[in-house]
Formats: sequence, structure tokens, C-alpha cells
Amino acid sequence: MKATYRWIIWMSLFFLAACTQNQPVKESQLALMKTTNPTPLTTERKKNRNRAEDIKKDVSSLPEVYDVAVIKGEKDTLVVYKVKHMQRFKMKTIEKNLNKKLEEKHPKENFTVSSDYKIFLEAVRLNEKIKSGSLSHSKAEKRLEEIVKMTEDMK
Amino acid sequence: MASKQKKMTPQQKKYQTLQQKHELKRPVLKNCIKAFLVGGLICMIGQAVSYFYIYYFNFTEQNVGNPTVATMVFFSMLLTGFGVYDHIGQFAGAGSAVPVTGFGNSVISAAIEHRTEGFVLGVGGNMFKLAGSVILFGVFSAFVVALIKTLLVMWGVL
Repeated sequence: MKATYRWIIWMSLFFLAACTQNQPVKESQLALMKTTNPTPLTTERKKNRNRAEDIKKDVSSLPEVYDVAVIKGEKDTLVVYKVKHMQRFKMKTIEKNLNKKLEEKHPKENFTVSSDYKIFLEAVRLNEKIKSGSLSHSKAEKRLEEIVKMTEDMK
Repeated sequence: MASKQKKMTPQQKKYQTLQQKHELKRPVLKNCIKAFLVGGLICMIGQAVSYFYIYYFNFTEQNVGNPTVATMVFFSMLLTGFGVYDHIGQFAGAGSAVPVTGFGNSVISAAIEHRTEGFVLGVGGNMFKLAGSVILFGVFSAFVVALIKTLLVMWGVL
């Protein structure tokens, strides 16, 4: 009887493992568990990725932060980051310092800064869609606004 | 305690030493390890549930706690009903009682125990017999902490 149960468990594990074969794993599927470091993007028609890259460099220079996603929209610039495990006690101070640094270096930009995993995940998903070209500029901008609104609801 | 020992007869003292000699020692370290592992496993499941809500629903890190707690309590209620949680509790002790699943277990076990006394006076009246103190002191301590925070914010400390 025990052998039958063991056999069923092994076979079900075998078939479940087979389900994952030949399926391309998207970065967003593992975005909460590993460092994804998505490339900074912009939703603007006049693509100016340099500024988004500069912002990402500035944010990454903070020692407490380790995974940064930057999406630059026409109105807002979304900056999402993960905080190192032992530094998570100082989340508010990190956010404050980051806001100050970004406002000093890029005074013309309107920043939305967040360290929430959900916002990070949505930023990576949006990033993937923009890269694959499945979203038009206006739709990408609209989705970015939705994500920004999500961060405002948390405050 | 000291006065009690003084009053003991020699025969009682002899019995006490004999009893201490044969008394089974509590495996404290082993129990702690068991509680740590099972408690950690329950928390890991909780983390997986919260990631599930973040991935597939519109919950952020700040508000994902509410559905996660509700789901964990629901799981423990099912396990209590099927009689599985009793075994987990016997094995892990505090490891299964301290997480929020222990709360669900205490509610449902009291409800099952008093089912024979009827729905209103039995289940309704006794359901929160064990969990009632958790709710009372939880609400009261939340009130005190909120009061302190409000005062600190008003005085400009925070």
C-alpha cells in the first residue's frame, strides 16, 4: 500500500515537472525572488533613454538598494527598487534620502518612488511588454499612470 | 515553597527525592527545534500565499497581509476540522500555536467541542472561549499603541 502511494507521488511530481518544459520563463515570473535588473525604459514617443539610464545609475549607487527598475513616462517617472534584507528597518529613511537625491539631480522630473514588491512586479511586467512591442505608446503611458496611482493609494 | 519543604516528614522527603530521580526530563532543546521548524514552515506557507496574492491579484505589499491572514486562518480551520492540526500541535507545540493558524485552531476546536450543546448557546457562546482573550488584548494593545503614536505625531516627535 505504501509503495503504491509513493509511486503515485513520484509519478505526479514527474508529470508536474514535465509541465514546465519548453515554456519560456519570463523575468517577471521570478521578479520577487531574484535580482532582475530590468533595463530602464521610457514610454515617450521621442525616446530618450539616456535620462532613464542616468536615473537608474543614481539610484543604484545607494548601498542599501540592489534591484532598480526605472520607467520614464511623459508626466511621471517611476522609480522602484528593492532594499537589502537587513536595511529594511530603515525603509522610510532610504526613501526620503532617495527622493532628496533625485530631486537635487533631476529637478525637472516628477518622481514616484516606491519599494513595494507589487509595484516592482508591475514595473517589470510593463517593461517586458514595452520591450516586446505589444503595447503602443499611449497604452504604455496609461498603464504607467495606473501603476503610479497604485502607489498614491498606499500613502 | 520553602515553608512547605520544612513541614515535610522524612518519608515525604524521601519520596520526593525518589520522584525527582525517576522524573522524565523535558527535552526542551528538541521541543524548541521542532517548534522553530514547524513555525518557520507555517510562515513560509504564509509568505507563499502572500506572493500568490501579489502575483495574481491587485494587492500591494502593504495590504496583502489581510487576505493572507484570512487564508491562513481558513487553512487551519479546515485542518482542525479534519483532525490534522491536533497532530501538528502535538508535534510542534508553540510552533503551531503562536502563528495566526493557532488562532483559527482555537476558534474551531472550541466550536467543535461545544457543537452538541446547540448552535446558539453551544457554538455561538463558546466559540471564542480560547480566542476571546487574544481578540481582547489584541484590540486593547492596538488601541494603546495607536494612542501613543497619535500623541507622538501631535507633539512632533515622529
